[in-house]
Amino acid sequence: MSVCLVPVQRFVIPAAAVLWAVLVFAVPVAGAQQTVAQAGPPDPPDPAGVAFFEQHIRPVLVRDCYSCHSQEAAAKGALKASLFLDSAAGIEAGGESGPVIVRGRSADSPLLKALRYDGLEMPPAGKLSDDVVALFAKWIDLGAPDPRSGGVPQVPRREIDVAAGRQWWAFRPLQPTVPPDLQKPIDSFIRAGWLQHGLTPVKPAEKQTLIRRAWLDLTGLPPAPEKVAAFLADSSPDAFAKVVDELLASPAYGERWARHWLDTARFAESGGYEFDGFRPGAWHYRDWVIRSLNEDLPWDQFLRMQLAGDLLEPDSLSGAAASGFLVAGPYPGQITAKTVERIRYDQLDDMLMTIGGSMLGLTLGCVRCHDHKFDPIPQQDYYALAASLARTAHGTRNYDYDPAATEQRMQQHKLRHDELSAVLTKFVGEQLPGRFEAWRKEQLPRLPDSSRWQILEPISFEAERSWLKMQAGGLIVHDGAMVPGATIARRGQRRNVANEERYELKFQTHQKNVQAIRLDMFTESSLPQKGPGLNGDGSFQLGEVLLTSRPLSSSETPTAVPLKVAFAAFADDGQGAEQALDGKPNTAWIVRATARKDNSLILELPQPLAGSEGGVELTLTLQFRDGGIGRLRVSLSTEPNPATWAGSVVDQHGGELRALAGAYPQGLAAAVQLPAARWLASFDSGTAEVFRPVQEHLAKTPRPDFREVYTTVAGGQDVFLLRRGEVDNKQGQAQPGFLQVLWRDSQPAAPRTEPAEHPRVALARWITDLEHGAGPLAARVIVNRVWQHHFGEGLVGTPNDFGVQGEAPSHPELLEYLAGEFVRSGWRLKALHRAILLTDVWQLSHEASAENVAKDPGNRWLWHFRPRRLEAEAIRDALLSVGGSLDLTMYGPSVLDATPRRSVYLRVKRSELLPIMTVFDAPEPTQSIGERSVTTVPTQALTLLNSPIVRQQAEKLARLVRADNSRPLEDAVRDAWQRALSRQPSATEVSRMLSFIHQQASAGGTSSAATEQLALEEFCHVLLCLNEFVYVD
Amino acid sequence: MFGYYSAADVQLPVRRRFLQQTGLGFGSVALASLLHEESRGQDGGGVSGIPSAEAVDPLALRPPHFPGRVRSIIWLFMTGGPSQVDTWDYKPELQARDGQELSGADPKTGFFTTSGKCLASPFKWQQHGESGTWVSDLFPRLSRHVDHMCFLHSMHLRQNNHAPASIELMCGTNRPGLPALGAWMTWGLGSQNSNLPSCVVMHDTRPRGDDQIWSAGFLPKTYQAMALDARRNEAIDNLQRDSRRSELQQRAQLDLLRELNQEYAVGRPTQGDLAARINSFELAYRMQMAAPEAMNLQAETKETHSLYGLDQPECATFGRQCLLARRLVERGVRFVQIFAGKGVGGDGSVNDVPWDCHSDVQTNHRSCGLHTDQPAAALLSDLESRGLLESTLVIWGGEFGRTSDSQGARGRDHNPNGFTIWMAGAGVKGGFHYGATDPFGYKAVEKKVHVNDLHATLLHLLGLDHTQLTWRFNGRDFRLTDVGGQLLSEILV
Repeated sequence: MSVCLVPVQRFVIPAAAVLWAVLVFAVPVAGAQQTVAQAGPPDPPDPAGVAFFEQHIRPVLVRDCYSCHSQEAAAKGALKASLFLDSAAGIEAGGESGPVIVRGRSADSPLLKALRYDGLEMPPAGKLSDDVVALFAKWIDLGAPDPRSGGVPQVPRREIDVAAGRQWWAFRPLQPTVPPDLQKPIDSFIRAGWLQHGLTPVKPAEKQTLIRRAWLDLTGLPPAPEKVAAFLADSSPDAFAKVVDELLASPAYGERWARHWLDTARFAESGGYEFDGFRPGAWHYRDWVIRSLNEDLPWDQFLRMQLAGDLLEPDSLSGAAASGFLVAGPYPGQITAKTVERIRYDQLDDMLMTIGGSMLGLTLGCVRCHDHKFDPIPQQDYYALAASLARTAHGTRNYDYDPAATEQRMQQHKLRHDELSAVLTKFVGEQLPGRFEAWRKEQLPRLPDSSRWQILEPISFEAERSWLKMQAGGLIVHDGAMVPGATIARRGQRRNVANEERYELKFQTHQKNVQAIRLDMFTESSLPQKGPGLNGDGSFQLGEVLLTSRPLSSSETPTAVPLKVAFAAFADDGQGAEQALDGKPNTAWIVRATARKDNSLILELPQPLAGSEGGVELTLTLQFRDGGIGRLRVSLSTEPNPATWAGSVVDQHGGELRALAGAYPQGLAAAVQLPAARWLASFDSGTAEVFRPVQEHLAKTPRPDFREVYTTVAGGQDVFLLRRGEVDNKQGQAQPGFLQVLWRDSQPAAPRTEPAEHPRVALARWITDLEHGAGPLAARVIVNRVWQHHFGEGLVGTPNDFGVQGEAPSHPELLEYLAGEFVRSGWRLKALHRAILLTDVWQLSHEASAENVAKDPGNRWLWHFRPRRLEAEAIRDALLSVGGSLDLTMYGPSVLDATPRRSVYLRVKRSELLPIMTVFDAPEPTQSIGERSVTTVPTQALTLLNSPIVRQQAEKLARLVRADNSRPLEDAVRDAWQRALSRQPSATEVSRMLSFIHQQASAGGTSSAATEQLALEEFCHVLLCLNEFVYVD
Repeated sequence: MFGYYSAADVQLPVRRRFLQQTGLGFGSVALASLLHEESRGQDGGGVSGIPSAEAVDPLALRPPHFPGRVRSIIWLFMTGGPSQVDTWDYKPELQARDGQELSGADPKTGFFTTSGKCLASPFKWQQHGESGTWVSDLFPRLSRHVDHMCFLHSMHLRQNNHAPASIELMCGTNRPGLPALGAWMTWGLGSQNSNLPSCVVMHDTRPRGDDQIWSAGFLPKTYQAMALDARRNEAIDNLQRDSRRSELQQRAQLDLLRELNQEYAVGRPTQGDLAARINSFELAYRMQMAAPEAMNLQAETKETHSLYGLDQPECATFGRQCLLARRLVERGVRFVQIFAGKGVGGDGSVNDVPWDCHSDVQTNHRSCGLHTDQPAAALLSDLESRGLLESTLVIWGGEFGRTSDSQGARGRDHNPNGFTIWMAGAGVKGGFHYGATDPFGYKAVEKKVHVNDLHATLLHLLGLDHTQLTWRFNGRDFRLTDVGGQLLSEILV
């Protein structure tokens, strides 16, 4: 560690027994703090100095400082910064940030800096006048003579003792625990609590209650009537276990439980602040959480992936999606020079607070500015964690959404291609020579001369950072961009898409004496600023042009063909096309000022291309400095720069055939038959019928389904320890490391240097390291969260705070037992859910007995199952489900609330949270939330009474249970009741509902089928407003 | 002691903590008796009346820490950041040195780059009232009220862009996710009118930072301000009953609902929130009528309409908002904040930050003055004539000030280092000037007032001690004033 705390020597004395051992107090003793005094206080003070003090200094201290820095202030609890300015010894001793004066050196004295409002601003009510500040400077330079007596008050000062801190229950290794009853381990711990507190548990819940509870708990949806009926009919002893297993296996489980974790991860899809920019790729993290839970990804791996998925699985979308966790917090949309550094530390703080709160149940936010006031976490530990994240920034990367599917599509495509090619090969072998000869005989004599420019039809075309396609007439057209940095597979290799575009175009020709190549570039309205370049301003910068040639008949390596510029239509000043032929990729033919016009480049071959009997393959490589060209056409000529623009693809085809006919007067050699098919297809419909399908199929080559993922990217700067968290107060560079109190090893709490380990990977390992690191705490924290969501409250009532300020566990041994078993079972959540749901205690009824209520009104000892209101998501999902509208499509970009999909897929935009969610207490996604508030306000009632969604679902429910008026009303009432409340109404309830319906139907005078249906709808609406509907018990 | 204000006691889901104390909210008491009368009492006999967390109406009135001077606050938020040196902070030195070097100009002050050259205010200045307060001619009507106004000339904060500064100004720090002043107030004091939201924000175009400026943060969402969008017809969501149903039919539905809910509650005596929810439907039913009544400006006279400028296109929107603010305050709403919109006129200003005079302070501020001067002045007169200024505090100000040096030739950039906010009405001295900027109006130098100090003072005026109003969240006791906050005793009456 290169960072250290303010070097104040302190004597450490043991803490009082009532205080926890971490809060060890030190009593500063005058004279012990050698760092303060250059020389001891003058002894005795010089009378002139004393006079100066009495005249100029003391009155100011009394008037402006004593209210916060005196024994009197201490007595009132108003003492600030443990600093006493009401005695010489107090000034000598300094405050909690260290010394306040350096005798004789006013410039080095923090007190004077504060008076000058340089950093700290004292006194806070207003700056002292310059004259007074000057007097203080003089006084310090005089040696700070001070006649005031009085010792340093006994102000306890905190000193963090990390070793003692490790004894805190939450920071210890997992404690071996033996349950009182091995058959019913969890219940036996609970029973002990009942016995101890004289509580009598209530009876088990009825089956219909139990199945509704299990469905809402594990999936967030009410059970369908047939599910309830099946369970009621199943009298086997494992009937409920079967339900639990079915629900845990259902995809709805992940959708339900992901939402709990998303709260703790402060997940949202926008940056908040100024413009609250939307992050279109942020939803991948949400989907990753759902998938991981459904797959029962071991929790330790789940945590590690969120901290370092991008490094642990560098080439996978899921790795990038997982580490989206780190950067899901708010981040300003506008940054100025003044704020940039603080914003970066804010971002690191957001990451650390979230890691601390969600994974470790620790409050790390306060440690940014000072040692933790309650927990054994010194400030240096905070900055060690921050340094582990120093090279972590936010950004987007693109991945193939489903590489396996892409692979499969590629294979299918290839199969079809092979089929078509086989047909072509067969055709070429059997028919082509004959057809060529027929053409030679019938068409060649009438073939007009090829125009002097022939447009080349590319055989293949490939681009570095985009897709190209060919349009009629040999036009090569931009067909979608890849994002630089995206990982793609190409020719069996995974690679990252570069920033610089590069086109590689291949042509074949059988003609000889090629003397010029022409590139035409076209504007079009679909291109940026009309193009022809693909940069935002329509520009392009062509760095290098390379032409190579290779005989088709041999496997010779291609040879470069020298070129020179004959003509370029437009170029920016001094950025001519010659710069694309100078062999220097950093100079270019730049068309920016001259963009937005069609352009053309003619290149001459100083030595005409000799060509080859069997034809040559020409490869034209265009290396750009940034984006490519949107629409491009390549032509050749067998003359140097002919003075014409006309030409067509058919001209080339005719030219090629003519060349072949000349080269092979006795009939085509076998080697050129296949290439000849391409040219002949323009003249012979029989050839076209076989050749075109191959070409058309190739044009449909599948592409990866790229998606933008909002995730961690490399970036950031060194992290410094900041005194008081202020960026202008750097105290030295921080080195990566961990929280010392959660580290058990002889080595320092820092990443391994041999072999070198990425600090973030090391952080991820440390968090889940059971032996040396934070693993035991991470296990306790998640086990407690699971318990909390099953029972409404955790064994530890403060799920995000397992520190000294948090609550002690109600059943400490049970917590240790569950955490231990959880870890032994491979950190599997589903096993834990199952164990909990199959206990007696989870299956108790909601009933309350007076005696129990009197003894334990808060149900801390779990003598009954406490009813609780559903969360916002579950309320909306239940509404949609009961109305038969719920669309169970999983995954993908988020939707707005008009789409009837599960609420976990609703858009979370920080500045525009959806009212239907927030009205039922969906939290603000800015900090880790361990526990939602549950409020009861009229706006919720207004939502249920009048909002379109509830009205619509009531209407749909009414139609579901009574599609036409032939069904008896009573049946409809029973059906609706069952769907909404998962139980059958009593006879009294039925008759009351019927009389309500009749009464409402005839309210306007006479009753009709229409008013009856409307009344049924009103009854359904009442069902959806019921407490019984929005509560689970 | 103010046990009532300990967050641990009121954080609703944490029941067991709550049960350690005995307070019962008004709503639940009413309901408990209702239940007692109407309950068919199957097995609940011995255990009814147990208080529980949810039983307490979260909006029930709560006693202040000490008697407060202010009942309601109306904050006229001058969105975009008005220039102090063109409005209320007269600087002869700046006027005299137009075009000269501004010594100590810091290029990092604003969002863009400024010239470093003094830009004199293009407006005419004059003294007003007995206090002799200098006011620019942007405010011909507001200037008649200077003797009611208490000016804080030394406001400063840390953020120099709109959203972060607005968040800092309303929530005490620049980090989002913390509760805003209105939410803290509502939580601390409860609601004075259960039929209306306790905290209302009005805007035209949504200001930058949106909900984050009036967020309840980690407090229950109950305490979040209700936002009224001037562009929408229906001010409050879901206030309209299904048009196919008569009031009587809805009443019958509610009666059935109440009966069924009461039966459900009987078997669940530990769940006080069930009772509160029964009550909430009745409140909602009443809100359906009360809210439209409060929002109905047609109930006001023609004279009042023209007093507020509703008959003039340039200030009609802000005028409506100010008039509505008065109606809400009359009905007990505690906190109303109006984010001044753009009004009309081709002044080149940006919709969501009208006072943001980067290119031309004269054109921009002249137009903003036209939009806001008359309605704001009308609000003060109207409140005064109705005796409401005795209990209402009106605050005028933006999220920061502007640079004394120019941006471009005639504009001013953001400046968080010194700006003016004034307050008028209950509890503060009138015609009073507190703190000062330097002779160029560039930085606050005397008796600097940070946002935390302003908040401490506002809470004090409401009867709340800012160090006592805390909420424990993720292990830390948070306050509106973070770790700062000095009461500005000098400005109090």
